[in-house]
Amino acid sequence: MAAKKLRRAQLSQEMCERLSRYQITTCQDFLCLSLLELMKVTGQSYYEVQKLLCKVSRACAPKMQTAYEMKLRKSVNPSSAFLSTTLHGLDRVLHGGVPCGSLTEITSPPGCGKTQFCIMLSVLATLPVSMGGLDGAVIYIDTEAAFSAERLIEIAANRFPAYFDSDEKLLCMTRSIHLYRELTCCSVLKRIMSLEEEIISKKVQLIIIDSVASVVRKEFDTKLQGNLAERSNFLTRGASVLKYLAEEFSIPVILTNQITTSLSSGPGIRADLVSPVDDLSLSEGSRTKGNGQK
Amino acid sequence: MQREVGTLPLAPALRARLAAAGFQTAQELLDTGPCGLSKEIGISREEALEALQVVRQECQGGAARPTGGSGATRTYTALELLEEEQSQGFIITFCSALDNILGGGVQLTKITEICGAPGVGKTQLCMQLAVDVQIPECFGGVAGEAVFIDTEGSFMVDRVVDIAAACVQHCHLIAEAQQEEDHRKALETFSLENILSHIYYFRCRDYTELLAQVYLLPEFLSEHSKVRLVVIDGIAFPFRHDFEDLSLRTRLLNGLAQQLIIVANDHKSAVVLTNQMTTRIGQSQSTLVPALGESWGHAATVRLIFHWDNSQRLATLYKSPSQKESTIAYHITSHGFRDVQPPAVTHSTEGTELNPRKRPRAREEQ
Repeated sequence: MAAKKLRRAQLSQEMCERLSRYQITTCQDFLCLSLLELMKVTGQSYYEVQKLLCKVSRACAPKMQTAYEMKLRKSVNPSSAFLSTTLHGLDRVLHGGVPCGSLTEITSPPGCGKTQFCIMLSVLATLPVSMGGLDGAVIYIDTEAAFSAERLIEIAANRFPAYFDSDEKLLCMTRSIHLYRELTCCSVLKRIMSLEEEIISKKVQLIIIDSVASVVRKEFDTKLQGNLAERSNFLTRGASVLKYLAEEFSIPVILTNQITTSLSSGPGIRADLVSPVDDLSLSEGSRTKGNGQK
Repeated sequence: MQREVGTLPLAPALRARLAAAGFQTAQELLDTGPCGLSKEIGISREEALEALQVVRQECQGGAARPTGGSGATRTYTALELLEEEQSQGFIITFCSALDNILGGGVQLTKITEICGAPGVGKTQLCMQLAVDVQIPECFGGVAGEAVFIDTEGSFMVDRVVDIAAACVQHCHLIAEAQQEEDHRKALETFSLENILSHIYYFRCRDYTELLAQVYLLPEFLSEHSKVRLVVIDGIAFPFRHDFEDLSLRTRLLNGLAQQLIIVANDHKSAVVLTNQMTTRIGQSQSTLVPALGESWGHAATVRLIFHWDNSQRLATLYKSPSQKESTIAYHITSHGFRDVQPPAVTHSTEGTELNPRKRPRAREEQ
């Protein structure tokens, strides 16, 4: 939306040409200027400039929906709202399972089973809807090289022996799990940016990133100056793209995080990355979040 | 009438021509008339007429000022302001301790900012307020509608349904206990469906959409004149990345704050913003402070900071022009934002905990 060219915002041709002489070509450039600067650049009076601002804003602004319309839309297809984890206690606490359309974060100390959980969810996502799955492909971005294809087949064969009764079924399932090994923050971000087309072409129904914390902690030492800002820059940029993908395609996105010790007098264990990423936090090792939170 | 031509809101090219032709005051322009003006400067008659209309509008606005007529600036006496403030309603939060420290609830015509770490309850409070603003006047509410601008995608419709259902239930109980006619009539329109239809939701994905939406807000509010609450959930999120030029960010945020102040005042609505926390690395320790920098701290009139103390959620009133700094505990239940049973109000013993630059308040006799 930001990069939308002013031509498509229904400004007149000469106005667009005049603005492009000042290097103002997108709606973002236009809206970042103050009123006086706009008057100078467009050569219009104060009231005219306000009208132009409204026109450009209307081209960028989001559509209004009432909460009632959102509820109606959700109630039309309720089954696609969650991916059940098949762990009954967990599903009950989460009111159905891992929610579609938002980000979920899994945190724990090492060895608790985050990667195993992710592998199991990948299997579940490839199952048909009648068995509680999402009948789609999975994109698995692995930063720790911890994904094991043999373990994947073992889980599938032992958990659903009736469904995966032949080798072809297993191979078919493995073919729909797309694994990407990314070892730097830069490549993770590039991969996240390229996901939109992959989701459409491969009919992806689940995105897993295991784990965000390891690349970030490897590259950003928060004791060095300036690193905190860069780290938060990377995290929020990735988070906003992932949120957009989750909402646009109504699919669940799962991220794993690590535990760090906070050296204050408060609770000893705290999840790393106080980031704006998490909509939901399933902390296996540390305290669970309070009730009433979806 | 003696206003200089250079200060009029005309197009810069036109102003340059007028200055070159020797015009100095607005009165000269009005005396010349459109035909004379068009001949002297070399513009068409229609353009000259438009320019004169702008000039006349500006000057008339100025002349009406001393008599206190309707215009951009009006003088009020403090007594008028006092009467207005006392008759204004508050938006209650259903947590009586929080309402107490705020002086009644979230105030209309003011900007309230809620800061806190993720998961502490900011969006929950925003959703609660979006429902509470619609409570009918006979139950103590302001009977307004709500605009919810979401930048983080954390708005959950199902949760709003739970909160709204609990609120309607609460009002039904009051109506049964008091058995008054207007209570029953109000309850007919105060239903789940109505509550949800009066929450206007906008999802802004980056700061351009947010800026665009705030520019369009005055128009939207004049069409929907019953709106009494504007929530921007996550004002920090779109501004925390993609900004190498921090001075541009400060400028955009200041512009945003000014527009929100205008919206709050002109439309008599409360503006609620939520902010994130960031770590400030000091010499010996690092503290959690509200994000977006020091200059953003001036934008909001009232500032609340939500934080954890072991497993108890606390809310601290950090900045307020009329209330004392205090901390209270609150709870988030399946019905929404509530008190801790029993409600406990503790005054912070050291105001220096959160902001070392604030002078500690001398302890008063209770």
